[in-house]
Amino acid sequence: MRIATDPMHQFQIGKWFDLNIGGYDISFTNSAFWMVVGVLLVIGFLALATSKMSTVPNRVQSLAEIWYGFIAGIVKDVNHAPGKPFIPLVFTLFAFIFIANIIGMFPYFFTTTSHIAVTGFMAIFTIGLVIVVGLMKKGLGFFKIFVPSGVPFVLLLIVTPIEIISFLSRPISLGMRLFANMLGGHVALKVFAGFIPSLAVALGGIGMLMGGLLVMPLIVGVTALEFLVAFLQAYVFAMLTCVYLNDALGEAH
Amino acid sequence: MATETAEHASGSGFPPFDQIMDTGVSQVFWLIVTFAVLYFAVANVFLPKIRKAVEDRDGAIKRDVAEAAVLSGKADESVKQFEAQIAAARANARDTASKAKAEADAKTAAATAAKEAELNARLAAAEARISDTRAKAMANVSAVAEDAAAAIAEKLTGAKPSPAAVKAAVAGAMGG
Repeated sequence: MRIATDPMHQFQIGKWFDLNIGGYDISFTNSAFWMVVGVLLVIGFLALATSKMSTVPNRVQSLAEIWYGFIAGIVKDVNHAPGKPFIPLVFTLFAFIFIANIIGMFPYFFTTTSHIAVTGFMAIFTIGLVIVVGLMKKGLGFFKIFVPSGVPFVLLLIVTPIEIISFLSRPISLGMRLFANMLGGHVALKVFAGFIPSLAVALGGIGMLMGGLLVMPLIVGVTALEFLVAFLQAYVFAMLTCVYLNDALGEAH
Repeated sequence: MATETAEHASGSGFPPFDQIMDTGVSQVFWLIVTFAVLYFAVANVFLPKIRKAVEDRDGAIKRDVAEAAVLSGKADESVKQFEAQIAAARANARDTASKAKAEADAKTAAATAAKEAELNARLAAAEARISDTRAKAMANVSAVAEDAAAAIAEKLTGAKPSPAAVKAAVAGAMGG
């Protein structure tokens, strides 16, 4: 398979069915397919977990409850009581990113979160939500987050632009972090894995031995690390969503 | 590598950026669709279910703990009641015992008194009989003495003394 040699090929989006609505190309691609698969997996798991709810939970149910408790715990810790309506959103964000990242760990599966279009839109959506909720809750007082209280006027001239820039850079960093982590990790895996055939071709049997003894453990380690990253990036995205939502919900800082 | 790039002329080097113009709208569209489906499923179906199960469990635990506290209070009360009953029974028993003892004492005292009275009566009767007998005997003695004195006086003097004088003389001598 050609796919084996090019580390970027795994990120290639291919159209499966052409779809066009209002002049916009919304073709069903491999990316769309894996998004659908991910969502179906999450829904399937939750449906299984919540099919027989009981006071004494079975394994799947307690797994779902732990998951819920984990997300609700983040929201509670960061946003306290006003964050309660956002638990489903944070839960969905975490679930969507987590399952996409985990799907990406399987060879020949497509990692939907490795494209900036997806992660960037999620980040812009999150920040847009922060602004909308902030304006709804506090009106124009929401913009006080750019003007820290208790700072002398002269310093405000410097601090306020910094605050605005940091606010505007949030969607970029939020989307870029996830996209770059997934992309980088998968490229690294691919490149390391590519060492083995390269060594085998270049050095023959010795190269294969070297590949097996030296590179393979490295790949195993990086794969384990990538599983950690898959969870961690979903957690970070959910966590940062809560932190940013706090600007809209919490006290002005 | 060269053939690869040739194959994917539209997005060769870096698909996330190269393909964003072609597929960006499609990716965002499917993201919105799938995310919205997941969000509504999570928000309207699954999370309420999970939350309800968790809250039900918390409620059940609280209810059970409260019930246990009530039962424990009841048990304490029963123990207190039981102890009170034991104390009452003990007091009752003591009461009964002392009453029985007093009754027995009274009976014994009465029996003793009755016996004593009987004995005293018999003693008195015996004493009365003795004194009666003695009086009778004494009466006989004075009659014999009068007869003997009268006979002696007649022998000595030849004249028969009057019975009254003899009686007075005997009484004087015996009363002596």
